[in-house]
Amino acid sequence: MPNSTSTAVDTPDGTGELTLVDADIHQRWASDEEITQYLPERYRDDGIVAPTLLYRNPGGFFRQEEMGEDGSKPGTDLEELASSHFDENDIDYGMLTGNSWFNLAALPNRDYAVELARAYNKWLVDDCLPVDDRFLGSLYVAPKAPEQSAELIREFGDHPQVRQVMLPGGAEVPYGRPQYWPMYEAAAEMNLAIAVHPFSEGHGTSNAPTGAGHPNSYIEWHTLLGAYYMGQLASIVTEGVFVEYPDLRWAFIEGGYGWVPHFMWRLDKNWKGLRSQAPWLDQPPSQYIRENVWFASQPIEEPETAEQHNQILEMMHADEMLIFASDYPHWDGDDPTWGLPPMEDSLERAVRYENAVELWDLPADPTDL
Amino acid sequence: MSEKRFEICSADDLPPGERVITTLDGFSVGVFNVGGEYFALKNDCPHQRAPLCEGKLTGTTVSDEPGEYEWTSDDQIVQCPWHGWEFDITTGESVFNPHKVKAKTFEATAEAEEAGQSDDERDVPDPSMPDADCSSCGSDLDGSEPPVDTYDVEVERETVVVYL
Repeated sequence: MPNSTSTAVDTPDGTGELTLVDADIHQRWASDEEITQYLPERYRDDGIVAPTLLYRNPGGFFRQEEMGEDGSKPGTDLEELASSHFDENDIDYGMLTGNSWFNLAALPNRDYAVELARAYNKWLVDDCLPVDDRFLGSLYVAPKAPEQSAELIREFGDHPQVRQVMLPGGAEVPYGRPQYWPMYEAAAEMNLAIAVHPFSEGHGTSNAPTGAGHPNSYIEWHTLLGAYYMGQLASIVTEGVFVEYPDLRWAFIEGGYGWVPHFMWRLDKNWKGLRSQAPWLDQPPSQYIRENVWFASQPIEEPETAEQHNQILEMMHADEMLIFASDYPHWDGDDPTWGLPPMEDSLERAVRYENAVELWDLPADPTDL
Repeated sequence: MSEKRFEICSADDLPPGERVITTLDGFSVGVFNVGGEYFALKNDCPHQRAPLCEGKLTGTTVSDEPGEYEWTSDDQIVQCPWHGWEFDITTGESVFNPHKVKAKTFEATAEAEEAGQSDDERDVPDPSMPDADCSSCGSDLDGSEPPVDTYDVEVERETVVVYL
């Protein structure tokens, strides 16, 4: 039961307190050469050919005040990232989630996607993680090639700072399908979490980014990320991923959480009458979610009143499942100081670091990784 | 009035469509020239306290019916660099809820320099300070027409002033 109780956290300085774990920080390569140097020869001349998002944001996708005059984007200078984001916000651990426009699930060629994932993982392990021991790493995989992706997970997953495997939110078929399970088996074996982060939805060979089809504008695309996640979560729970891998820890990043109470209630309600379609579930579906799934806070829900936000937190069991994420340096990020609304002390500790410590099985001191 | 008067820069250094961000009395403040009028906003978004005045200077769209767009308020909108909230520089009001969501505004104007005033009596921010960057002001003029043709001496000697 990986998600049943929060663990006490002891730090070497004796305060017994971490301060903040950030679940979503986007580092990026300044030039494609940083990645393509790790591609095999058969793809080196191709460079990076990844499907791009065709929806536009009139305000841009990055914190605009941090864009370089030459168009350079924040997150490329890892030393600067450590000092400006980690030091200033007193972040104990931060999960590097890379360039989310890579869209490996939306590439038609499986082998090329595997090799791009391998190149990213080499860059992550060789060039990113050594910069600061507070950096945590997310492996990239190619969901259309689950067996080869499982090999990547075993090849790179033993690095102490690597704590999760990232899946793009959008894929060919839902993530509960057994075809993907070799990746989950490898992640469970390597004690890595699986995290779903928005990308590939509606790109390249992916399905439409909403169940209703292709939306007209980015406001629709971005608003409905949670709806896409509902499809993935229904699939992994009802297909029995957490029955097969009871210790697998899973996170949904950047899809919001206001929908979680509704989703758990509806799934439990339907399970009472439709249980026979998923007889391997031996407890209410919401119980698997509470034990095995975490949700990142960003983009923070902004209901009409502060009290309504507190009610959402209570209804979703945020004390067990919610983790803070800044999404730095993206346009919809939440500031570590001003992004989280005030909440009761024990809940705030859970959201700021205790739940993330469980998700990634983190020691209190980064030097103990 | 107990307002404090701050001289920001020469009017020549803040042409229409430009802005300068400076620190006044401990507050970071953006001073804007919108079509020849001057406005000042606190550089602090009411949402998550992003440096609002560093955002994109732009216009926005209005519409009479679905599917139609009309561009309006060109150079009168500053868009928060983090979450894209749009604010009308001339009022501080947000575009999406002008009645409740506002950025703090200050009075800004251009005043003729007083004869005989010496430099050391003025409260002009040091242009070398990072928050007082006037370097881009006046450097983006397009075309070959000399922009100073219609300026007279008095206008050139005007100073942009903000009252806090």
